[in-house]
Amino acid sequence: MKFNKKLPTIFLDLDSKYESFSSKINIILSPSFYWVKKVSLPVKYVRDAQKLLPSIFEDILPDGTYSYYTYKKGDDFIVFAYNDKMILDTLSQKGIHLSNVANIYFAQSEIKDIEASLKVSETQSVYIKDDILILVPCCWIEESGKLDIDGIKLSKHKVTIHQFGHIVETKSLYKIGAVLVIMILLLFSEYIVTNNRLSALVNDTGEIYQKYKLKSTTFQNKALLKKYKNIYELQTKIREYISVILKLRLNKGEKISFINIKDKKMLISFSGVQKQRVEYIKKTFHSKGISFKIKSTKDNLRVEVNL
Amino acid sequence: MNRINPLYLGLSLIVLITFISYRLNSLSNEYILAKNEYKERLALANELSSLKNVYADKKMVRKSLEKILNNSTLKKYKFNKTFTKSSLKIEAKSLDIKGLNFLMGKLLNGTYQIKALKIKKLSDLRVSLELEIKW
Repeated sequence: MKFNKKLPTIFLDLDSKYESFSSKINIILSPSFYWVKKVSLPVKYVRDAQKLLPSIFEDILPDGTYSYYTYKKGDDFIVFAYNDKMILDTLSQKGIHLSNVANIYFAQSEIKDIEASLKVSETQSVYIKDDILILVPCCWIEESGKLDIDGIKLSKHKVTIHQFGHIVETKSLYKIGAVLVIMILLLFSEYIVTNNRLSALVNDTGEIYQKYKLKSTTFQNKALLKKYKNIYELQTKIREYISVILKLRLNKGEKISFINIKDKKMLISFSGVQKQRVEYIKKTFHSKGISFKIKSTKDNLRVEVNL
Repeated sequence: MNRINPLYLGLSLIVLITFISYRLNSLSNEYILAKNEYKERLALANELSSLKNVYADKKMVRKSLEKILNNSTLKKYKFNKTFTKSSLKIEAKSLDIKGLNFLMGKLLNGTYQIKALKIKKLSDLRVSLELEIKW
């Protein structure tokens, strides 16, 4: 069950002192915290008037960062300019934590329909002139009474305090935020794309062996590849060495009498080879990078080649 | 007045960016490793598949050898042929140069696995031959 509980309201003034609050409070800002004007603008709606506010105050505001607010009164607009930092600093000086503040209002929008002046603090009073609430020292005018703060029915015109407005402009904050959000979106989409590509790649990798009708594991396939590579190397050597032997320029009477290939060894017998011709055969085998053993007896020559 | 502090919001976004960047970086590394594995596996599969096509197709090797031996050039020679489950042994007591050249030309230019070969010169024009082809 929810209860509508009326929160205590205080009139925030530069000179007043306040007790500490344990619960949330509403704050009515003294006119010393804002600049106010009643103006007639060539626009119909508040949202259009909002855009014109900085130019209305540009000549009268001291240097600083300001926020603006407006509402309509009859055909005119009541326009406000206020310094967020000044309000925040005052709250801080008075020991009022922002988290304890429910809402902040302008005295201009809350104190109305008063016939004479009202005392708002020990030293100051307010009165209305031409629809504008004016703050004056007490001694200037004769007061008709004291402000009954709890009797005020708060309006809907709440002041929004920009805590970081004095450090970074709200627009810049939005821009920085937008850039960060765009970065997040880009990174996230890149993450999703990479993740999808990875899944597809893992899937394709898993299907390679199946596609090529190979064994299911890399280990088995590597062992098979080694076996076939050995066969390929051996068969290539056999053909290469036979080609070298057949290309030997033999002299008349020199003949190949025997070729035997078995157990990775090739044995070649030459007949009618003179001793001085042995060097030529040796040289030829060396030049082709063939490792061999040679044995010559009379005019016979036996060459043993490792495959 | 409990508004979200934009600094916290910004920090949260930066933390989120850092987290996603970290995850993206890990994922990218994973992707590079997976790509390397894919390339490696594809290269292995290509190589193995090619070699298998050459040396492991037993039916094709046997059929091809039968075709060579039944060629009209070799038909007149009396070869002693022994087909086993995984090999063929050919023996010729006496073979002339033409037959030897034809047979060896076919075998050496093909991709047959020569397991054993013995060629012995009998005279200037004749040799004896023993040959074993494996598949």
